[in-house]
Amino acid sequence: MKKSLYIIYILVISLFATSCHEQEEFANDPYGNFDALWTNVDQHYCFFKYKNVDWEVIGQQYRAKLRPKMSSTELFDVCSDMLKELRDGHTNLMSGWDVSRYWIWEQYPKNYDERIVNEYYLHFDYRQSASIKYGILSNNFGYMYYGDFMGAIGEGNLDNVLAYLASSEGLIIDVRDNGGGNLLNVEKLVRRFITERLHAGAISHKTGPGHNDFSEPFDYYFEPIDDTRIKYLKPVVVLANRSSFSATNNFVSIMKTLPNVRIVGDTTGGGSGLPFTFDLPNGWAVRMSASEITDANGNVTEFGVDPSPGCKVDMTEAEMAMGKDAILERAFEVLEEMASNRK
Amino acid sequence: MRKIVSIVLALVSSLAIQASSPTETGKLEPIRPVAKAFTLDYGGASVLDTYLSSIKYSGYNLRLGYERLQAMHFNPEKWVMQLEAGVDYANTLNPAQDLVFHTAMFDAKWGMMHRWRVVDGLQLFGGGSTQLRGGAIYAPVNSNNVVSVKAHWSVDLTAMAVYNRKFGELPITFRYQATLPVAGLMYSLDYGESYFELYEGNLSGLAHLSWVGNRFALNQLVAADLHLGNTILRFGYRGVYETSWVNNLNTQIFRHSLVLGLCGEWVNVPTNSKLSDKARVISSIY
Repeated sequence: MKKSLYIIYILVISLFATSCHEQEEFANDPYGNFDALWTNVDQHYCFFKYKNVDWEVIGQQYRAKLRPKMSSTELFDVCSDMLKELRDGHTNLMSGWDVSRYWIWEQYPKNYDERIVNEYYLHFDYRQSASIKYGILSNNFGYMYYGDFMGAIGEGNLDNVLAYLASSEGLIIDVRDNGGGNLLNVEKLVRRFITERLHAGAISHKTGPGHNDFSEPFDYYFEPIDDTRIKYLKPVVVLANRSSFSATNNFVSIMKTLPNVRIVGDTTGGGSGLPFTFDLPNGWAVRMSASEITDANGNVTEFGVDPSPGCKVDMTEAEMAMGKDAILERAFEVLEEMASNRK
Repeated sequence: MRKIVSIVLALVSSLAIQASSPTETGKLEPIRPVAKAFTLDYGGASVLDTYLSSIKYSGYNLRLGYERLQAMHFNPEKWVMQLEAGVDYANTLNPAQDLVFHTAMFDAKWGMMHRWRVVDGLQLFGGGSTQLRGGAIYAPVNSNNVVSVKAHWSVDLTAMAVYNRKFGELPITFRYQATLPVAGLMYSLDYGESYFELYEGNLSGLAHLSWVGNRFALNQLVAADLHLGNTILRFGYRGVYETSWVNNLNTQIFRHSLVLGLCGEWVNVPTNSKLSDKARVISSIY
């Protein structure tokens, strides 16, 4: 009896040992927190290969800068500098006093001034439905500004907006300075401009900690909104700038594939990775691109989506001083061309 | 106090005797009282889920539980049925105490155990059960990995030892039970898969066969049931150890809790039935 119990005990312990997977633990000191950050990025970041980043070498280079007694601020700076090597707007280190960032768009022309649009084009006469500001301009082109993909938009809101804009000759969708948000809002919006199933892109996620551990790309599709809802099928121009990032970048990349849509303005800010967040022993959190989304043609748009051919425009200080939005002006020309081609 | 206990015991005994009725064939059906328990667990918890974080969070947990035990109809002396259900919540913090995980789970289990009456007062039970367990761990500050959804269905082995003894006028039931899922199915996202991908229709690879090698979950209960008449107070300890390793994702949830419970034995008395006072009462564990 004793022998049987002993065997059962050994069996249970051995089973336990196989299923309880050991988890690497890191000390809450400069080296431990640095190693936790490096390891999290090493195991989850998705663009090492695409960006040709040697994370091993970068880790050694920045680990050499650590000192046992360094302050939290000094450690934060070293870690931030290491993350900037990834050249990724979705990668941030978040502490109680700062958020590290690689927001390259801050260095490009602003290419958007809300006041100019409101004063000189909308004449302060516009409607607002949920997160969408909209109106019909004096040249009978519709205009809608969507500044944040986190902003809720209901199907009813879109019905109201598009019903009001239905009489316009063409539509301008302005997503300049839209830093992204919820990808489901991208789908909700795009469905109003398609009449058949649309290949929106493909997603590939990490399947393990190795740099090449990726799933097969999964193609995803958007269905047109049902016929009881309002669609807009006349010419459309999407306005973008470098601050059109993440979900907005995704929106622009999808809209660009539609035959009756042109992209005007600047290259978008990119950010095609779907970010995941992990934390460090000292309570800081790191957000990073963890899942690749490509456009319908399989292109990675991590560094942005270019405007349609002939539609690259920058706003100059002189024009802005005169109340002119050069990107919007170019959109009018493009819409007129598209409208005349339609006739 | 003793007088009250005696009265209540007498009431329970009389109720049990009344519940026995002769069958149509004339053979007396034994009375099989239902032992029910409503329990509250409170204690410590630690949660590791590498879909959300590589760091173990720790804090407290609460569980509201219900248990039903009854000798089985076909062989009440030797077989006992057990039904358990509960909901639990754990609030755990990271070591720096600035980030939180909220873990909310439910469980429902049904099983049958064979009974061996070893010596006077001591009963050993062994058998199997099947259970559903599911819920989610929510990490509010995370981005697209904001929640880790859990769902398991398993077939379990369960073993129990029960010892009934009187201390003066106070009967106490001591009990130990361990339940170990041995095989089943579990749900898991892939290592870096997002819910957006799931929403867009990629449902492949979500269900996994589980066994003790990739999902080890041990639930242990040590309890003392104090019989205060027809009310029984339960004091005990519950240790829950749940781990899984699938898709390179590591989950470890540990709970150590004090258990407080209100229990009792109930007998169904059919309307207009005549119950014999000669029928045997076969309790599940008491």
